Amino acid sequence: MTENTGIIKKLTEVPPEDYYVSGHRTCAGCGAALGYRLVLKAAGPKSVVIGPTGCMYVANGHQFLTSPYAVPWYHTQLGAGGPAGIGTAAAFRALMFKGKRRREDVNVVVYGGDGAMADIGFSGLSMALTYEYPHLLYLLYDNESYANTGIQASSSTPFGSSTTFTPPGKVKKIGNERQKKNMALLAASHPGIGYVATACTSYPVDLVNKVRKALSSDRPSFVQLLAPCPKGWAFPPEETVDMGRLAVNTGMWVLWEYEEGRFSLSVKPSRRGKVTDYVLKQGRFAHLRNNEDALGYMQQTVDEDWRHWEEMDKTGEMEIHWMPPYLKY
Amino acid sequence: MWTGTRAIAEAVKLADVDVIAAYPIRPYTGVMNALATMIAKGEFSAEYLVCDSEHSQFEVVKHASAVGARTFVGSSGTGLVYGAEAAVVIALGQLPVVGIVGCRALDDPGNFGMEWNDALLFRDVGWIMSWAKDPQEALEMTLVAYRIAEDERVLLPNFVAVDGATITHVASPVTPSTKSQVEEFLPPYRPAHPLDPAHEAVSKAMHISPSLIGPEQRKALDAAMKRAKAKVIPEAWKSWVDVTGKETPAFVETKHAEDADYVMLTMGAYSKNVDYVVGKMRDRGVKIGSMRLRYFRPFPTEEVREALDGVKGVGIVDFSFSLGSPQNGSILYNEVKAALYDADERPQVMGFIFAGGREMKIADLSKAAELLVDSTRKGRVDHPVRWMMVRGEDA
Repeated sequence: MTENTGIIKKLTEVPPEDYYVSGHRTCAGCGAALGYRLVLKAAGPKSVVIGPTGCMYVANGHQFLTSPYAVPWYHTQLGAGGPAGIGTAAAFRALMFKGKRRREDVNVVVYGGDGAMADIGFSGLSMALTYEYPHLLYLLYDNESYANTGIQASSSTPFGSSTTFTPPGKVKKIGNERQKKNMALLAASHPGIGYVATACTSYPVDLVNKVRKALSSDRPSFVQLLAPCPKGWAFPPEETVDMGRLAVNTGMWVLWEYEEGRFSLSVKPSRRGKVTDYVLKQGRFAHLRNNEDALGYMQQTVDEDWRHWEEMDKTGEMEIHWMPPYLKY
Repeated sequence: MWTGTRAIAEAVKLADVDVIAAYPIRPYTGVMNALATMIAKGEFSAEYLVCDSEHSQFEVVKHASAVGARTFVGSSGTGLVYGAEAAVVIALGQLPVVGIVGCRALDDPGNFGMEWNDALLFRDVGWIMSWAKDPQEALEMTLVAYRIAEDERVLLPNFVAVDGATITHVASPVTPSTKSQVEEFLPPYRPAHPLDPAHEAVSKAMHISPSLIGPEQRKALDAAMKRAKAKVIPEAWKSWVDVTGKETPAFVETKHAEDADYVMLTMGAYSKNVDYVVGKMRDRGVKIGSMRLRYFRPFPTEEVREALDGVKGVGIVDFSFSLGSPQNGSILYNEVKAALYDADERPQVMGFIFAGGREMKIADLSKAAELLVDSTRKGRVDHPVRWMMVRGEDA
């Protein structure tokens, strides 16, 4: 059993032991399942995992009584990730403090989707991030929609996505007209937070290190993990890893961390690809293929965003990003 | 002299609760204020979590209980409704959480009055529910609730309902239990399968845990509720009597019921008003008695049937409503009627609805008792259910 919790440099240093094993029924090419495996490898055996309702609850538990978890795991309600995490951590601290349980560090990992954390559970998550429990990680696996209920828009769905709640049509040509909420920046707005980062399943070494930094910080931490979703984004399942790399290389997804009050970019693409390189590979954006206004808007928002990211990387200071809405652009 | 909320806080301290989740709503809030003060002063130690909502409150204690902590929670009125999703899964997860409900009207805006519909929303989903009559009993019921909830034959959460204002805010003499009494009475909570990596890994969800799957899960709760009724609740109160030396019935309390032709039946604080009115009528020679249910879930069916055997008319003093229900009656009324259906001789049953949050006056209650006596004597009930606190044809 690998007890090493240190920072790694290459993929071969990722622990061989798995705590997210067979027994699940996620889609072929599921980014969130790949992420689960890596996150629990990083967290190790002395962990409790909490799963708010979502793909990673519904597809991982099954009526055939199978479970893919080799560590204690408990479902929680869709909006309950925040309180479930601090409730679990509070129980361990109380029992250890009162001598009712042996004292040792126990990791608590809440692995919730964008619907669970950016929407219905936002208030509870924000409350939890003001507490001081150590070894507590809120991991938002971001597949950019309510995927298990059939791909409905969340507030983490990007501009232009077609979802079953935002279908494009003759009158509404764009699909989702809202801009993706920046959850990691919001998490970083909690002054006492331990550690904040964004990650992507296509960057496993970066992900493992960020999970370990989060769990070894002495406060609750937050990691937002982009998890490409073949079903919801409409791309072939064998392209999950490529899609994550494209997201980062086109600047549509930005890998950064915020540690002890200092911001830094984790990956700086030397020359950013065009957003169309990423967007037009996915069926959810197919209706925009000939919509130069919309595609132009997406490129401009990414460029504008990156002016902020690069400035932040230089100064180490947080900045709030503001974008004009599409119709006023 | 302690209010009900202060008395309950004492019980939580005596039970050495590990994790407490708080969110403010009147009238239950005082218990959390008192607990926060105790912890700040170092009177006992617990993780005290100030939450962002009732939903979070109930989720905090649900997950803390799963790890193996003893927990405490509470709410009132629409706050309890806000926490409902989490409260339901606490029961389905068979987690022995103890909570209080400071009973309050469901919100027409700003209605602070007393009503039972908040607590009774949970009557069907596996919470044990007891109703205290005063701060002393609220303290004792809270302590006994932990013993019942955590019994491995039960493992069901327990709400102690205390009527808003009359118990939560009115001070009365309370003799707290002693630490040694509680240590003798209440064993530590040790779950068989805690959510703790020091134990065997368990996965808990409706989909994948054999005890948590659909119909079997509900049947398991049903069996637990039956064991609570038949064995665990009577045993717990018997043991409480042994430890404290204070005679306490488990499920029901009656006064003047042995030879009564008429009985006024209720729960909670207003049972004292009922006893007063009944006593006055007894002085006048009316053969009337009173009955108070201490538990609503499990419902004391046999005890009710037995105590009402030979009684000709029963009047239900009910602070709930159940719109569109059979007879357009209220919840306690319909439950008592259902319990009496299989009795050898069924008495007339009348429902007197005091729900809505307007303070009951003794005159209103006297009127209800007179209506019961008159209707029963006539042998015919024209209006079996009446709203007692409104003007108009019902009253």
